[in-house]
Amino acid sequence: MLLVVVAFAILLALGMPVAFAIAISGALFFLQHPELPFTIPVQVTVSQTQNFALLAVPLFIIAGNIMNRSGITGRLLDLASVLTGRLKGGLAQVSLALSALMGGVSGSAIADAAMQARMLGRPMVERGFTPGFAAGALAYGAVLTPIIPPGIGMILYGTIGQVSIGRLFAAGFVPALLLWAGLSFAVWLTARRRGYLPERDRRPTLKEGALALRGGIWALLFPVFLLFGLRMGVFTPSEIGAFAVFYGAVIGVFVYRELKTKGALEALEASLTDVGSVMFLIALSAIFSYGIVLERVPETVSGWILGVTENLAGVMVLVATFVLVVGFFVDATVLIIMLTPIFLPLVRQLGGDPVHFGIVFIVAATIGNFTPPVGAAMYAVCSILKVPVGEYTRESAPLLLAVTVVTLMLIFIPQAVLFVPNLIFNR
Amino acid sequence: MPRIHRFMLRLEAVLAGTFLVLMVVLIFTGGVARMMHHPLNWTIDLATCFFAWGCFLCADIAWRNDALIAIDVIPRRLPDGPRRAVGYFNLAVIAVFLVYVIYAGAWLSWVSRARSFQGIPGVSYSWVTMSIVVGGLLLLLTTLLKLARALRADGYLAPRRTE
Amino acid sequence: QEYTLRFNHVLGPSEPFHEGFLKWAERVAERTNGNLQIEVFHSAQLGVEEDIIEQIRQGANIGQNTDAARLGNYVPGIAVVNGPYFVSTIEEAYALADSPTMQGWQTELAEQHGLKVVCFDWVQGFRHFFTNKPIRTPEDLAGLRIRTPPAPIWQESIRALGAEPTAMNFTDIYPGLQQRAVDGAELVYPNITAANLNEVLDYANETAHILLVNFQVVSSQWFDNLPQDYQTALVEECRAAGQETSEVIRQATEEAKATLVEQGMTVIEDVDMDAFRAAGEKAYEVLGILDAKNKVHAEIGK
Ligand code: NA
Ligand code: NA
Repeated sequence: MLLVVVAFAILLALGMPVAFAIAISGALFFLQHPELPFTIPVQVTVSQTQNFALLAVPLFIIAGNIMNRSGITGRLLDLASVLTGRLKGGLAQVSLALSALMGGVSGSAIADAAMQARMLGRPMVERGFTPGFAAGALAYGAVLTPIIPPGIGMILYGTIGQVSIGRLFAAGFVPALLLWAGLSFAVWLTARRRGYLPERDRRPTLKEGALALRGGIWALLFPVFLLFGLRMGVFTPSEIGAFAVFYGAVIGVFVYRELKTKGALEALEASLTDVGSVMFLIALSAIFSYGIVLERVPETVSGWILGVTENLAGVMVLVATFVLVVGFFVDATVLIIMLTPIFLPLVRQLGGDPVHFGIVFIVAATIGNFTPPVGAAMYAVCSILKVPVGEYTRESAPLLLAVTVVTLMLIFIPQAVLFVPNLIFNR
Repeated sequence: MPRIHRFMLRLEAVLAGTFLVLMVVLIFTGGVARMMHHPLNWTIDLATCFFAWGCFLCADIAWRNDALIAIDVIPRRLPDGPRRAVGYFNLAVIAVFLVYVIYAGAWLSWVSRARSFQGIPGVSYSWVTMSIVVGGLLLLLTTLLKLARALRADGYLAPRRTE
Repeated sequence: QEYTLRFNHVLGPSEPFHEGFLKWAERVAERTNGNLQIEVFHSAQLGVEEDIIEQIRQGANIGQNTDAARLGNYVPGIAVVNGPYFVSTIEEAYALADSPTMQGWQTELAEQHGLKVVCFDWVQGFRHFFTNKPIRTPEDLAGLRIRTPPAPIWQESIRALGAEPTAMNFTDIYPGLQQRAVDGAELVYPNITAANLNEVLDYANETAHILLVNFQVVSSQWFDNLPQDYQTALVEECRAAGQETSEVIRQATEEAKATLVEQGMTVIEDVDMDAFRAAGEKAYEVLGILDAKNKVHAEIGK
């Protein structure tokens, strides 16, 4: 496995596309294990595309592209301009709010980041954000999506660890608010320091406000309708992306009357490249993770962690750090499946609360998707916005700092996580 | 660009787009049908099958458009010669890997033809596995064309008159 | 010489089956002086069940815990074991090992498909319908969307019993029930406590429609290469650990049921079993395995 990791680092440094670098270095593991069928790398790659939960990713990518052509994005921007036009970093703030709203709808950070990169990426750059910072805001905002219920991560964690899913859902709200506040503050601070000009130089008139609100109402209602579809039992969380595409198309054709055949085809064409670059990477990453599972790397790491400290908060910091560093797998789901049974008993043994640890763990695993050198949501946003990873890393540092501080707060103040579930479930 | 190649590219985009659209339509229909208390369980199966094909065709489209993300911090700072050498190295390694993917995928499609797709009797999972074989062939073709273009640009190959 | 078997299963690490597999591994290692090691991987960490079965067929030193429905893809008859009301006690399930027809199917699996069934004494307990309204007859199930595993054979059984089978991801069950995308699920008691489904389900209707028998499968190529006494150790310890685990599950099921009752779930025990049994026959007819079922039943004296 060491050879695999070294080869991966070399190929990555040589500028090979990450998808191929992950696959080729991962395949080296099989050269070292001739007893394994040589077809496994191909088989596990194909299997990723049969994972129903991953279907959400292309669906939300298509939804983002459709909304760009249907007039939803434009009106959302008008509205944002009226509401936050005098605030520095307006569009980035809008993207955070949209992530929070989407949080009630989808559970996938990668899908949310990819969709928003398509919707808000270009407008943000046009309004003077550096591409790197725009990409950072779009990616890190997506941390809210799996934390605000429903989230696939919480369901997986609850199922594997036998922890109440209802309590986990309830526990997500306060951390999500804290993350939102932290990111919002980091955006505001950066915008102020950079001197990003506000979009408007005067307060909007009441009439302008009413017009923008009327135009943008369907865009605003988008997450509400998705939530409605989910609550009415029309769709499951894995399927909701199809409803999002449908909603965007219906509003574009029948309400705004902007979506014509040409625009729809252009949206589809743009989706082909986006889906290819994001999904190919996710599919091939299965080759890499196979060796990690087979060699029981997580168990080894768990041993190291206990060797360092047996203090509960200390263990949680180390676990979060570990998860953050290796957190480059598909939508954090692989990490949760692999690591929950290893770390949760550890935390229980040290007297920790499984709901508290679960939230910290899921937050860290999700942040791992945004952090270099490898992170699926980071790659999705960077490839859609065509931003070099180096620039992304530099520009998004304040955002990383913000989520890290919040994560540390969550670790050291368990009540921030447990307050709501204890209130609701009366324990 | 030869006509046949141009036609192939068009066909690839049309097919990939069709697969994505069908995927959306099937999942949507499945949800609505279930709400009407007539669950159509085959919609999900068909959608995931199209997902596989859409994925690998889109992967080729992304590779051709240079949309696969790479970290080029180091190569960008290299002098001209080594940078080109690294480029050739990458393309060559990728080509070898894709040859393996095509071979292993074809072999797997053959030996596991008895495996049924989603447990549906008479429908082989090999229809799904073959998506990576076809995708691999297209990706290999794209890689070789990238290699040829690089060789021509560096003067190792005669420039093409039509370009 | 040393041998390693990497054994994969889809259940979580706190399930009795996982403990059982670890016990199996420990005893096999003891009996072979540590020369035959079984590494157990839970939660499908090595991959999807169907993928693993194909890897086994290619001769890999990998094993999988699977069910008769999946093995039925290779030898259709064996799918009867997954049918409604096929066996009604754990003892009947153990007796299947002595049925010549079952043995014939296993030989066919090994010789023609490379799949060696080590044993199938791992009984996961009775599956019941879990819903939000009481179910006593097949008619009560009419129009209810019941989540089933995404396997056509399974779906036919549930359809025969009167419900609308609805394929859904396991992780989608909780939100699916919460948001009424499905009206119920057919599972075993410990599934409910493990996934906290009692938070979104009110009734346990004890239809006992399937007694789920699990099969431990390895590559016949790999198995045939083992020394004779290692083969014997592997099979014997598989049966012993399986029967112990089935007993553990019987108790765990009682405990899970008690927990659920305590947490407010209503158990419906006065189910019209005759009506459900009669309805179940239809599944065998639709699947064309009625003769196979009758033959095995005759052999085990049922
Ligand atoms: Na969510
Ligand atoms: Na990362």
